[in-house]
Amino acid sequence: MADDMATHYQMMEELGSGSFGVVYKAIEKATGEIVAVKHIDLESSEDDIQEIQQEISVLATCASPFVTQYKASFLRGHKLWIVMEYLGGGSCLDLLKPGVFNEAHVAIICQQLLQGLDYLHSEGKIHRDVKAANVLLSHTGKVKLADFGVAAQLINIKSQRNTFVGTPFWMAPEVIQQAGYDYKADIWSLGIAAIEMINGEPPHASIHPMKVLFLIPKEPAPRLEGRQYSSALRDFIAQCLTKDPDRRPSARELLKHKFIRSAGKTEALQELVQRKQEWDACKGITQNIKYYAESLNTITKPDDDDGWVFDTVKAPTMIAPQGADDILPDPDTQYLDRASEMIDDLHISEPPIPPKHAPNSTVRRTPTVDRSPSARRPSTKRRSSGFKQPLGLDMSFGNSPSTVRQFRRMSDKATTDSGYASQYQLSTDENMSPQPLLNEPSNKEAQLGRRAYNRGVGLACQEVLGTTADQEKREAISRLAEAWSDLEMVDPEGLYHIVKSMNEKFQNDPKLSGLVPQQPPQPETPQKPRLVLAQNNPHLKSHRRRQSALVPESSPKDVQLSNLPGQHVPGMEHTKQLSDVLYQRWSDGLRNRWAGL
Amino acid sequence: MVFLFNRTGRRQPSDLVRFIKDLLLKLHESPDAAKIAEDLGKQLSQLRLLVQGTQDVEPKREDLHMVIQAAIHEDLIYELARGIIHLPFQAKKDTQTIFSQILRFKLDSQDDAQPLVITYIAHHRPEIIIELCRGYSFSDCTLQCGTILRDALKFDIIAAIILYDQSAEGQPAVRVTDIDMAVPQDGNGIFWEFFDWIDTGSFAVSADVFATFRNILLNNKAVMTTYVETNFDLFFHRFNRSLVMSNSYVTKRQSTKLLGEILLDRAYYRVMIRYVARWDNLKLCMNLLKDDQKMIQYEGFHVFKVFVANPNKSVEVQRLLINNRDRLLRFLPPFLDDRTDDDQFNDEKSFLVRQIQLLPNEPVEPSTGA
Repeated sequence: MADDMATHYQMMEELGSGSFGVVYKAIEKATGEIVAVKHIDLESSEDDIQEIQQEISVLATCASPFVTQYKASFLRGHKLWIVMEYLGGGSCLDLLKPGVFNEAHVAIICQQLLQGLDYLHSEGKIHRDVKAANVLLSHTGKVKLADFGVAAQLINIKSQRNTFVGTPFWMAPEVIQQAGYDYKADIWSLGIAAIEMINGEPPHASIHPMKVLFLIPKEPAPRLEGRQYSSALRDFIAQCLTKDPDRRPSARELLKHKFIRSAGKTEALQELVQRKQEWDACKGITQNIKYYAESLNTITKPDDDDGWVFDTVKAPTMIAPQGADDILPDPDTQYLDRASEMIDDLHISEPPIPPKHAPNSTVRRTPTVDRSPSARRPSTKRRSSGFKQPLGLDMSFGNSPSTVRQFRRMSDKATTDSGYASQYQLSTDENMSPQPLLNEPSNKEAQLGRRAYNRGVGLACQEVLGTTADQEKREAISRLAEAWSDLEMVDPEGLYHIVKSMNEKFQNDPKLSGLVPQQPPQPETPQKPRLVLAQNNPHLKSHRRRQSALVPESSPKDVQLSNLPGQHVPGMEHTKQLSDVLYQRWSDGLRNRWAGL
Repeated sequence: MVFLFNRTGRRQPSDLVRFIKDLLLKLHESPDAAKIAEDLGKQLSQLRLLVQGTQDVEPKREDLHMVIQAAIHEDLIYELARGIIHLPFQAKKDTQTIFSQILRFKLDSQDDAQPLVITYIAHHRPEIIIELCRGYSFSDCTLQCGTILRDALKFDIIAAIILYDQSAEGQPAVRVTDIDMAVPQDGNGIFWEFFDWIDTGSFAVSADVFATFRNILLNNKAVMTTYVETNFDLFFHRFNRSLVMSNSYVTKRQSTKLLGEILLDRAYYRVMIRYVARWDNLKLCMNLLKDDQKMIQYEGFHVFKVFVANPNKSVEVQRLLINNRDRLLRFLPPFLDDRTDDDQFNDEKSFLVRQIQLLPNEPVEPSTGA
């Protein structure tokens, strides 16, 4: 039945890929209608089939001209296909690439979004991830809310959530504080998205997302400053960014706002779509059009049904015949087979047609270098807040929709993508799946290197950054952080060796040796790695013994360390504590979503 | 015409309820009457506003209570459950919302008792639940029926109705007082249809039915464990055939995982002992270890480990393991060896390898008392 469904669609080129899977353009054969088909590889997601189902059920119960229309979903092997309405204009984030929007455009988009939000909210739904990347435009300028990866359905219209989801820069203070939030959280995010559209980036864009989590509740709400903006727009944003959710207006109230009432017709947004197409054309952007290639593992497994001996229960004395071992495929060769299949796949998914100039095709996958010229800072800045911080979350602004999902739900395409991946490795292409980065060289030193970065170096950079105010110094630190992060991606093994030899050199220098805790001899991780062992594991006991033996020795060292820069600055301990708490909440939130984490 | 005159004023909840009921009856007779469906949509959205309120207006408790009394009096809840399939898109959602509001309503005096409507359904109108289950046959209202059912299944008594009802369409459903848990089922009741719906439905239907099925197994253990014990063979025959051996990747994976969860659940201890004593069950899950898909292999492993870890293996299970000892010892070490981060998995895997090495050459009778 499911297979029949798949034949109803003629698959065309890839529109984009992300952690959630790959999106293709397709034609519904019966109607000739163009649709977008999202392929989610369930095999690469650990345990969230039920969550995916949740997402679908939120989608399937939406019917509004301001929300991307869900059409169908079905299984094809281990892939889930979700058929959605196709929106050819691209996302607002894409459309921002040629430059920021003017106020008239922002007014129209906000007016449309408010109607979308009003619909969702009256349905007891919260979007929870409103941002430019999740706003899609049609060719004709229609504006639709997309991506319900983290949307929530409230049973009671008045009830509250306190799950921690969204994308930091756009998150409302009450979401971060987990004091319980309701649909008003979307209004805050809309305000941030408005700033993003008029400014090119959300407030705090240059700051590390973890740090932003701490800033949003603490600092006064961001405001749009400057004479160049009309007072109506500034007031609109100020209204959206009311810190107290109870005093923040609802979508319906905001629809009456002066700035919104002045909004023109959506047709005017076609300018943005055209501008982007022209921009692509001028840039001579050669799209790497990738066509859909069936990559289902349809090859049936070698006939090893006789791999196990089942027939002997009634004849207990029978012993497996000598030759039986040959029938059982050697696990190694089995894996080799699988590897060669993967290689085959790789060929298949190589674009069958060489890259060509195609300004008309949708533009979600952008090639490397030219990024938001509107961003004031060098584009590398974004990366600093990007790829790798402690949780390995992809924070680049992109089209990566369900912010939280990205850890698990990987595009299976990405594994076969290495050709592109290497080309993009250091770029900030937000459409890129994080998968290639996780193509782990699985040797131990690389793992340790990665761990050293995640648990030590990365955090240390953040901490220091967090306690540094001077702009120039901050820039320098974040450049360093980026460099580490690049190294971690490209050569975790090298990172390991640097940290290791650094520690050894410190240790050998009489004055610097205080920097390095002499015990335990685990130079690979400045922070102690968290061991996860079964409770009855004998190693655990000895580990505990060792640890408890260590405690008295290590404490004087701590005292020494606290004098060093980058450690607790007197009077600033609370910030450290707070960010710890936030980090904890963040990871708890994740753990709730995937018990396995 | 009365309601026309009252447009400006406030209509009594009981009038609204009666009006909706009449429309539902008409729609039942001529399901294609678009005009009636449209009218009904408007009225249901009013009723929803009454019981749910809006973003700005809290619903009034008295209103909700009056709606419930009228709905019971008019038998509206049953008519809604039966008619939901014919309602327009938005009205289905409104109906679901109305259900979830009235199902949770408690009188002030009955704080920890069952909500009013649950008691009413259980003792007077179990047909409501059966009608909602039948909604799974129509992919159009799966999501709504499923959500309502799971709301109601917070109470074991509702699970009992689903488990023990064997009524045919149009017949009165089982009465809670008539249930005899010791009598085995013939496999024709509404509960057994869940297996077919899961196996043959589209993804959306199948996933939703499965969620409800899982819910009954894991959240209504008080009735479910007895049920599985009484109907052990029938239950696992269906479970193995329709779910674990399903052609659908999702059904196969989800049900294998659920099987692992059941077997490791304390409440299902006696079920587990019986399950892992059977060699055909072991055979099934050894085949899962060799499935094409890694996640199914992985879930299969969590079932397989229960057989091997069982200290009192039956003779037939021992024999199957002994006959495959060499194969297993070759197969297990490299099995899913890319899960380097999964310490628990790797610990368990090496534990199993050790257990298989320690197997005797010939099966021995399990120690008494097993």
